[in-house]
Amino acid sequence: MRTPLLLACASAATLVLASPACVSVPAAGQVPVLATHVQDWRDEVIYQVLVDRFADGDVNNDDKIQPGFLGRYQGGDWKGIEDHLDYLQALGVTTLWISPVIVNVDTDAGIDGYHGYWATDLTKPNKHFGDLVALRSMVAAAHDVGMKVVLDIVCNHMGQVFFYDQNHNGQPDDYVLGSGQPGSPIGQLNEFDPDWNPAGVQGNSPNGPVGRAPILFIHDPTIDREPPQPGVLGTVAAYHGMGHILDYTDPAQVVYGDFAGGLKDLATERDDVRATLVDSYAKWVESVDFDGFRIDTIKHVEKSFWDVFTPAIRKRLGAQGKNDFFMFGEAFDGDDVLLGSYTSPGELDSVFYFSQHYQVYRDVFEYAYDRTQQKGTDQIQTLWAAKMKNYGTVAQPGGIGLPPYKALVNFIDNHDVSRFLFQSGDTAALKNALTLLYTEDGIPDLYYGTEQNFNGGNDPANREVLWNSGFDTTNDTFTHIAKLARIRKTYPALRRGDTTVRWASPHIGTEEDAGIFAFERSGGDAGTTAYAMIVLNTNAFKMSDTADGTTVLVSSLPPNTTLVDVLDPKLTTYTTDASAQLRIGNIKAQTGLILIPQSQVKN
Amino acid sequence: MYGLGLAITLSTVSLVARADDPTSTQGPPAPASTAAPKPAAPVAPGAAPDIVPDPQVSDKSPTPNGTTAATAASAHPPPDSGRFEFGSYGRISIASDGRGGEGRPANVVSHGTRIDQDPYVELELRREDTWSDDIHTKVVATLAIFPPLFHYTGDLAATQIAVRNLYTQASYGDWTLWVGSRMYRGDDIYLLDWWPLDNLNTVGGGVGVKLPSDTTVAFHTGMVRLDNIYQYQQIQDVSPFGFGATNVTLLDRPRIVESLKITQFFRNNAHHHLLQSDNAGFKVILYGEAHELAAGVYQDPLTQLREPAPADSGFLVGGELAYWTGERNTFVQVFARHARGLAAYDPLQVPTTSANTKTTAGSTDSLIALGGNWEQGMFGALVGAYVRSFRDGDPSATSMNKFDEGTFVVRPQVFIGEHWGVAVEGSYQQRRYAYLDPTTNSALSASEWRGGVIPYFSPAGRGSYTRPQLRLIYAITDRNAGARELYAPDDVFAQRKVEHFIGLGAEWWFNSSSYP
Repeated sequence: MRTPLLLACASAATLVLASPACVSVPAAGQVPVLATHVQDWRDEVIYQVLVDRFADGDVNNDDKIQPGFLGRYQGGDWKGIEDHLDYLQALGVTTLWISPVIVNVDTDAGIDGYHGYWATDLTKPNKHFGDLVALRSMVAAAHDVGMKVVLDIVCNHMGQVFFYDQNHNGQPDDYVLGSGQPGSPIGQLNEFDPDWNPAGVQGNSPNGPVGRAPILFIHDPTIDREPPQPGVLGTVAAYHGMGHILDYTDPAQVVYGDFAGGLKDLATERDDVRATLVDSYAKWVESVDFDGFRIDTIKHVEKSFWDVFTPAIRKRLGAQGKNDFFMFGEAFDGDDVLLGSYTSPGELDSVFYFSQHYQVYRDVFEYAYDRTQQKGTDQIQTLWAAKMKNYGTVAQPGGIGLPPYKALVNFIDNHDVSRFLFQSGDTAALKNALTLLYTEDGIPDLYYGTEQNFNGGNDPANREVLWNSGFDTTNDTFTHIAKLARIRKTYPALRRGDTTVRWASPHIGTEEDAGIFAFERSGGDAGTTAYAMIVLNTNAFKMSDTADGTTVLVSSLPPNTTLVDVLDPKLTTYTTDASAQLRIGNIKAQTGLILIPQSQVKN
Repeated sequence: MYGLGLAITLSTVSLVARADDPTSTQGPPAPASTAAPKPAAPVAPGAAPDIVPDPQVSDKSPTPNGTTAATAASAHPPPDSGRFEFGSYGRISIASDGRGGEGRPANVVSHGTRIDQDPYVELELRREDTWSDDIHTKVVATLAIFPPLFHYTGDLAATQIAVRNLYTQASYGDWTLWVGSRMYRGDDIYLLDWWPLDNLNTVGGGVGVKLPSDTTVAFHTGMVRLDNIYQYQQIQDVSPFGFGATNVTLLDRPRIVESLKITQFFRNNAHHHLLQSDNAGFKVILYGEAHELAAGVYQDPLTQLREPAPADSGFLVGGELAYWTGERNTFVQVFARHARGLAAYDPLQVPTTSANTKTTAGSTDSLIALGGNWEQGMFGALVGAYVRSFRDGDPSATSMNKFDEGTFVVRPQVFIGEHWGVAVEGSYQQRRYAYLDPTTNSALSASEWRGGVIPYFSPAGRGSYTRPQLRLIYAITDRNAGARELYAPDDVFAQRKVEHFIGLGAEWWFNSSSYP
């Protein structure tokens, strides 16, 4: 049926001056051929992008944006990302982690679903960010420049898609009950987001129990608030219906309760729900050629789900040539044991290293401005020492080929916590933390805007609009990050070497080694000769030494080895003494050194 | 923030938007009958444009005493030769879909066949005066009536009425002037209900002249300021006196349009004998438009923040070649047109997509069109066809406002005696969008075949352009999957492959300034 118009179009193009060629979908927008784009995930530098906040490449999808109001859509889109890949390359980014791409409830209670975590249809792209072609084009363009793309997905819940009709009147109600007088306590009936009830959300009657409240899906196409898709997700059976979590220490509530904001908890223990989630998200990879999943709220899903979901994804994608597909989960929790539990054999490749966020980047680096809060660097050593105990030590079958403890996703901050600079604005501390981020074992993950010294508080203040920065590539933090990325790329030890802590200190005061932390990255998968030593002074107020009285840092290097600080523009050198000790004195407050044996230094 | 303003516009001006609205986001392209209630025009390609003087009076000289007739006449009441005239164009139809529902227009292109058009009526009241041998005037007022009709919905207020003409035209020798609100346009293609080259609806004025070389030149300028945040916005401000608020016009930027049309006729006259028949002739038209929109500032209704509305502009060039035999309305005409920027959008249309500069930069609209009629003995045939390429300025590679489209319609007919006839019609139309069809993973292509039969009674005699005409209409449309995808899932047009249109219709025109 195309032929008649195609002929006509060709005729028209011949006859009409300046007539463009016939319309078509660009090659980058076609169904991709799946491929494995990663060699070793430790070689990657992940950059977390909140799509709505990164760049506005097409004003035509700026529907209902409200510039400056961060609880609302701001206009960023996939084309904006594609248009600024050069900015990311300049920063040294090799992997993008983009916020969810699927249709969300547009707006709820005056807040928009710009973040992507309020899913209502897992099968279609969110029109605020572009169409499927724009998404494919962005991912293809990233692949063309060697960049990988990780998709953020949610298995725990859908958006605010139904209400509990507690008073059986067929409409969602939200009102205050009671007068406050004796016998008439004040309460609230909020049918969108009622409290947890282990028996399921109950109906409401002044005359006594009425049983479970009916669940009624909302039909409001104007804001994409429709019964979820696909299939079983649009049925009541797919949800626990027990109300929102009140006690995050209660395992039942954590797993079966609705998530904050009335996000409806999926009955992920059901085979049909599991199959639907596997199929829905696998299709996105098949359709767009993503390289991994960042999985939201994993601790709110029963653990057995991951025993099914992750192998099924790996098997399906591997059969199509997509291997080393990276799946890392987010458990918003500082419990290192809990985090590690999700990397049990057959489950996730990795997790967001949230325990490190709290114990290292917050306690040691962010709190450096406040001696009453800062912790010594021995806390880093303690945490790292538990890696092999708490995290998986065997690569997941069909996974990325790395044991989870070597592939933890390190981050300083993200969209769920206040930015590093929020409290102190201490950019020196930030740069020092970044030095650790880019040199420690695992995979560095940078939250967008860090390079522009964004300093927002908690959500949504930490979700600033990046284009307001003018995509500046000249500020100190940007250039520092770019340099760290270059160094990391240049020296395999920083990516694949084993880690040995050489100096950690409980001191945070005026002691000689206060704030000093030093560790080696050497050998391992980087090769026997690869070596790097990182020395950090996390103290904000004084210069410190790699020594404490007569005790001096001892390296694994041969005596009299000369090391070059490749982070220092002057390439200052240091030499181990005859005992392989490395005494570096007067390390400036909140600075770091990346020491490479002189024989290995590359231009 | 165009998007917001544009969305508002769709609801406020949809009744007057053109059928070729390439930016419609309301599902499939609105059929011309509903989105562009333009009347059909009997084609008279041999006639001079209405802007130039009537040939019968155009060779008259100025008044002998040297004073202009207008000056002389201004001191006198209208002459006795003046008269009131009533004219009209109209079409009424009602149809079933054969399944118990109403028959609906099913076009997927901007200008598809009119066989299943909605009703539309114009009522024209006109005063014509002859002030001297050289000076003539007419005052034209045309009301247009849009469906739904009261007898169909029972809703008195549902039927809408618009003033489509309200102007005065004066001719003085070979010159003609007009000022007012006017449908200002040239030749159409009847089967498509479409003026492919020039069709402006503005408030303004124009001047035309007929040159001795059988050339006419017409210039017009006009303004359109849509009641939409794209061009106009009032906000509340603190009243300078007393209490309360007062309305302030924050944005007011009419689109200014200029057009120039040069028509060269070639026909036998006292000096040349070009054609075998003195009734035959052909003409060549060169046409151009310029569109300008000033910069402004508007207040975002959501954020209350002031946002810039950048200046915009565009141009259009085109031409037409027409030949007529002079016998029984037999003719053929070819049009070509190319527009850029703002001119790619009709002045009554708000661009719903834009370049990132929030202008129409990068937008283009190119087309070639064909129209014609042939009559011989008891047979006749109308044809209409076009191919068109529209591109919006959206920086994305894909957009529902980047498309190619085209159609071919042929309507042969048999005249049975002087007053009866049967027409059959066949057509194909297709629009291909630069938009991914998820079911085929290629560009979304909507197309359909349509066939129809129209037995009719023609009280005024035989002829493709003889009216009034009372009809029976049956049309069947076979729609492809792409055509169905243009509709929301719950719309039956998203579900049904074949559509029927079984109805009654009538069409008339007489004594109308818009259809000479």
